[in-house]
Amino acid sequence: MFHRHPAALLVLRGSLRPGLGGRRLPRALFHTSRAHFALKRFKLADIGEGITECEVIKWNVKPSSPVHTFDPLCEVQSDKASVEITSPFDGIIKDLLVEEGQVAKVGQDLCTIEVADDVAADEPEPAPAPAQSSSGSATPEQSGSSGAGYGTPPEPVQPSHPPVNAGKAQQHHPAQTWRPHPLDPNVPPEARAQFSSGTGKEVLATPSVRHYAREHGVDLSLLAPGSGKGGRIEKRDVDAFLQSGSAQASATHESAVSHPPAAEPGKEVTVELNRTRWNMWKAMEKSLAIPQFTCSTYLDLTELHNMMPILNAHIPAHYLPPSSRPSPSSQVISPASFHAPPSPPSVPPSAQYTRLTYLPILLKTLARAMHDWPLFRASISSPPDAPKPTMTVRPHADISIALSTPTGLYTPTIQAADTQSVYALAAHLRHLAHLGRQVPCALTPKEMPRRGGTVSVSNVGGIGAVESAAPVLVPGGGVAIVAIGRAKWVWDVEKDPKGERRLKLGVSWSADHRVVEGAEMVAFMEAWRSWVEAPQRLIADSV
Amino acid sequence: MLPHRLWRRCNSPRAALARHFTSGSAVTPEHSIYISESTDPYFNLTFEDWLFRHKSPEQPLLLLYRDSPCVVIGRNQNPWKEVNLRASRTSGIPFLRRHSGGGTVYHDLGNTNFSIHLPRASFDRHATAQVILRAVRSMGVDANVNDRNDICVGKEKICALLRTKLTTRRFYVSGSAYKIVKDRAYHHGTMLISTQLNTLGELLRSNKDTMETRGVASVRSPVCNLQQYHTEVSHDKFVQAVVDAFRREYGVDEEVHTVHDTDGTQEIEYIRYGMDVLKTWDWAFGQTPEFTYKIQNSFAWGSLAAVLRSKHGIILSCTLTYPQGIGPDLKAKLEELAIRLEGERYGFVDEGVAALASRDRCAAEVWGWLRTEMDS
Repeated sequence: MFHRHPAALLVLRGSLRPGLGGRRLPRALFHTSRAHFALKRFKLADIGEGITECEVIKWNVKPSSPVHTFDPLCEVQSDKASVEITSPFDGIIKDLLVEEGQVAKVGQDLCTIEVADDVAADEPEPAPAPAQSSSGSATPEQSGSSGAGYGTPPEPVQPSHPPVNAGKAQQHHPAQTWRPHPLDPNVPPEARAQFSSGTGKEVLATPSVRHYAREHGVDLSLLAPGSGKGGRIEKRDVDAFLQSGSAQASATHESAVSHPPAAEPGKEVTVELNRTRWNMWKAMEKSLAIPQFTCSTYLDLTELHNMMPILNAHIPAHYLPPSSRPSPSSQVISPASFHAPPSPPSVPPSAQYTRLTYLPILLKTLARAMHDWPLFRASISSPPDAPKPTMTVRPHADISIALSTPTGLYTPTIQAADTQSVYALAAHLRHLAHLGRQVPCALTPKEMPRRGGTVSVSNVGGIGAVESAAPVLVPGGGVAIVAIGRAKWVWDVEKDPKGERRLKLGVSWSADHRVVEGAEMVAFMEAWRSWVEAPQRLIADSV
Repeated sequence: MLPHRLWRRCNSPRAALARHFTSGSAVTPEHSIYISESTDPYFNLTFEDWLFRHKSPEQPLLLLYRDSPCVVIGRNQNPWKEVNLRASRTSGIPFLRRHSGGGTVYHDLGNTNFSIHLPRASFDRHATAQVILRAVRSMGVDANVNDRNDICVGKEKICALLRTKLTTRRFYVSGSAYKIVKDRAYHHGTMLISTQLNTLGELLRSNKDTMETRGVASVRSPVCNLQQYHTEVSHDKFVQAVVDAFRREYGVDEEVHTVHDTDGTQEIEYIRYGMDVLKTWDWAFGQTPEFTYKIQNSFAWGSLAAVLRSKHGIILSCTLTYPQGIGPDLKAKLEELAIRLEGERYGFVDEGVAALASRDRCAAEVWGWLRTEMDS
């Protein structure tokens, strides 16, 4: 997500409360971003032997079934040959485009598969300028952060008709480091021959190992041959590589990300967008399809501010790091003397904290307001071109948090925020920040599920003294997004004409005007305010 | 291919081969030349499939086998169209559906089957056909390969006087089919050495011109036995000739490995399972593509036409065209019968339908006719 306010930059420093012993926020700050999914078209490849068309005999999958690379997709028949076609991707089947019993021509689309990775998506056909699209596809390969070097190919750059583009296509293939699938119709035979078994370096690994390596951003070709049978790469090889290589990998990555190629003084330098920036670009272009309006206000955090010392003094022991916990021997009389109290949940070190900040409380109050407002717990559930749109209301409040990390912008989702206590939310945020801070990024689809949250939160105030901003809502980011600025003390004459010192926080909302009315947005904002400015209500209501 | 869920279970990566051999079976897929002494067609087809899926993809493999009498239809064919099911039942000769495409063939002990497995990238049906052709020629038979890669005998004669070509009738001695998967492909086929051609003709003649089917139709060709051309040709000689030609073509220096269906092969789960699958209704009939059968018959009370539509072996609809002047009562009963047939297995209709029909004499006649047609 990108804020239109010029002050918003991805600088990883800052604190929410200036002049109050400014506690540093975690390095990974919270912004929004779109999860990455691409729709691949799978075409009927040239089977060889001069066959130009085949009849589809049988589909082994149906829409929404998951499929792994090399799983059987369908059987086709031509003449006297029965051909079994396997999937070139891991993903989920979207549509079957040819029915059983129908004839498909070579090069015709057989089906579409949704692939959960962020390599080049569907290129529009025909691609008139091979040079441009080649650089586009080469880019994600070069960024090298997560998932470089698959062994399974993405869709190649060129449109169909390999004979026509053979010359052009050939020059791009040396740039590709993955092996084309045997059924890929767009790869000319010469390029495929480079990767055929017996010549060149073969990367043998099962789909599950490939997935594991991809999740951890390990290039399998660096590991080949592995320690498994026949030289195949096993999971232990990937782990060993990660342990030894990660230090180097992060060093090189840091240098790639935070130090753009050193320009000679005074010379222009052309920089290609890395994968996450390019995803941001694509998501933002898509966001233009959403009519958005903004409204902003100030929340009075004074009451909350007065509560903070007490809340901080009573952070539950299991959320504190071991060094900060009160020693058990200091308690002469303890509840355990009668019977062991229920054991607390185990909390990983990455989720422990010593200081509670405002953000978890703001999320909790937001979740409470969302509870009363079903509209803000709803997401658009109909496909883009459906005749009548539908929305699905969720029972719980799912909030997405923008996370700005060394590897880029992500939007993990806190599911059912209303069911978690403020302390638990603080631990959750801490843990997400920790995962995001890892290089390569340790956030997985578990933290960033496809469906995302219905409301997004971007804590830009953590970066700079932001008063207001106009955040951008992207598809999948929910019905509304709020940018939270930096709290500051002001002299307020609103309530008391003589004036008093109040802590004010600027918040700016943007909402999808197709589903949210202006008045509804304002009313919801007021509902949130009523919880934030009178947090004592939570005691009687539900904590 | 086995049904999908079976395939996932059984089509193990190379590492899982070990699982198959802990039972102490003597058979492994590591050899290159196999001859099956079993004549059980279910075993031979499944064994071929097992070798196909488990042999290292880069190595060539040859399998030769003979079956006791049976009819083998292609992966996507319609058994009701291709096979004379009545003759099959009365003679006790079963039909099987194989995994590769192509048309219907008849196997008996006078027919030898060959199967050449190669890496997909280097698979070429012309080349494999030439291997077999060379083997046949080496036995002294003057055979040729046509443009569909079928081996036939019979020459083209040139009449010098008229300066025209006279072709004598070409007879086919072999039919082929292929299967291609991700990294492997095979060409397998028959070789008629001393087959009972009458039985072949009878079983493959079903005469259902009004049955239109979406799958692959067989190309009917006149056939003959190799022994008609050269009396010394025999199964053993052919086998030896093919093995030699294969060895020369692919530079394979291995011994021939003989396999029986009793020496532990049935302990291999893939093979046991595969053999069972071939016998199931789901595979044998349930893989049939959509077809329509138009029939008509004259009864004492009038002439009735029926259009039976079926897909995957299930009757989708039975549309009756009634004669003029048919009584409304009978019409209603026949309508009921037609609707009752929907969803039933074609040719294997539930007994309840017969019970329904038997309530009326005319309806029972109609049902008897429909049943006979479906059984043929």
